[in-house]
Amino acid sequence: MSEVRYRQAGSIAGKGGAPHQFSHSITGLALDRNGLVYASGDSEIKVFDAAGKLEKRWTTMRPVLAVAVSRQGLVYAGEEGQIELFDPATRNARVWRDEKMLGRVTAIGFAGDSVLAGDAAARAIRRLDHTGRCLGTIGTDNNVGGLLIPNGVVSFAVDQEGVIHAANPGKHRVERYSLEGRLLGHFGRFNFHDPAGFTGCCNPTNVAVSDRIYVTEKAGPRLKVYSRGGEFEGVIAADCFDPNCRNISVQAGPLGRVWAADAVKLQIFVFEREAA
Amino acid sequence: MSRNVTRRVAVTALASGAVFLIRKAHGQVVWQVNASRCVNSRLGEVGVEACNLCTSSCVVALSAVRAVNEYSKCGRCNICPAYFNIASAVDEKGLPSEKLCPRDAIARKPIGKQDPEDPANNFYEYVIDEEKCDGCGRCVMKCKEPLGLGSITLQVRYNRCLNCNRCAISTDCPKDALEQVPLPEALKPGEARPTV
Repeated sequence: MSEVRYRQAGSIAGKGGAPHQFSHSITGLALDRNGLVYASGDSEIKVFDAAGKLEKRWTTMRPVLAVAVSRQGLVYAGEEGQIELFDPATRNARVWRDEKMLGRVTAIGFAGDSVLAGDAAARAIRRLDHTGRCLGTIGTDNNVGGLLIPNGVVSFAVDQEGVIHAANPGKHRVERYSLEGRLLGHFGRFNFHDPAGFTGCCNPTNVAVSDRIYVTEKAGPRLKVYSRGGEFEGVIAADCFDPNCRNISVQAGPLGRVWAADAVKLQIFVFEREAA
Repeated sequence: MSRNVTRRVAVTALASGAVFLIRKAHGQVVWQVNASRCVNSRLGEVGVEACNLCTSSCVVALSAVRAVNEYSKCGRCNICPAYFNIASAVDEKGLPSEKLCPRDAIARKPIGKQDPEDPANNFYEYVIDEEKCDGCGRCVMKCKEPLGLGSITLQVRYNRCLNCNRCAISTDCPKDALEQVPLPEALKPGEARPTV
């Protein structure tokens, strides 16, 4: 196996009080079709261009835990008990509020006409229709009634075929689910020494999918890449992250570009795959 | 005016000091480990060896300090870094082959019905045997964030503590993590002790 190589191409944001910085938290990353990077943190959504320059920002009703952008350009912000929807074109905002079904929304994705919301309070993924009505729950059909997330975050990503890739850190694996909630498969195992495995009590914490699968781990923090079949391809980065960092949000774009948000430094690191 | 204020502050400080001494004389003041100062549990210090001064400095045989697992914080993980030596070789079940505790003071059992097809898919209860534990702090260090959830901390057990006037651990502790508090403010065993 030849290791795929990446290089750090830059960084965005950081800790501080400037408009482009975050002061307390950075919780989620998203990309839109134009290559803009959306970052959620504190009680704000910030939008950066490909070079990392702040394009715009706006506040959310509650501290924001996740962000996603639909194909239509609608921005979804996950919060406690609700999802806020922003339309940057019309500057309209609305809220899907459901304290029971959207207890703590730490990830948002899209599959077909459905909106998927990772609810850390329920340790599961909610499938919603375009009005926010819950159609089903994914990840609960097991003997513990949900994903094992001692890290307190549900993280998932949806590939182009509509398959959901969810981090199940307590089981040290990435699980694949159909939109109907059927477990299609999984990869990963515990191993402290082999970088192909997941270490600690509970890893991987976050996952992203494009042509490959990207995961982040905590203690020690690192960003790794796997093939779509689940074969380990390499560690992209480790030393750049704060050792106390956990729940490193990750987002994958086209052409092997990857963004990873250090939740302690409040900085987004950008990586690029090097040509073979 | 300002002299009156200064005098009032001084009198208040003297009075509270006198109350503290009276309480101490009547055994109403106890030693307590401040978890946010203890190097084994304070956040931000990773990659260092556990401090075992609570074991080696205490004048009580086997120490008066114990590791206590607060269940409301515990992740009930399958691979608990405080239970397993996660750096040890993986056995045929995919679990680390060695335990962390040198005195084998932590017991684990699955909660609920275990799935034989997928034993990793379960919650586990971790119970610390206080007859074996000597407060060495290794499990505390491994349980703290970000590796664990910080549910295990070191606590003085008042049924073992002699409540020395000058606690030997407090004298040695480089972080001043041992502090004297009025008994009503001290952690009660029931607040953090597992009820099995």
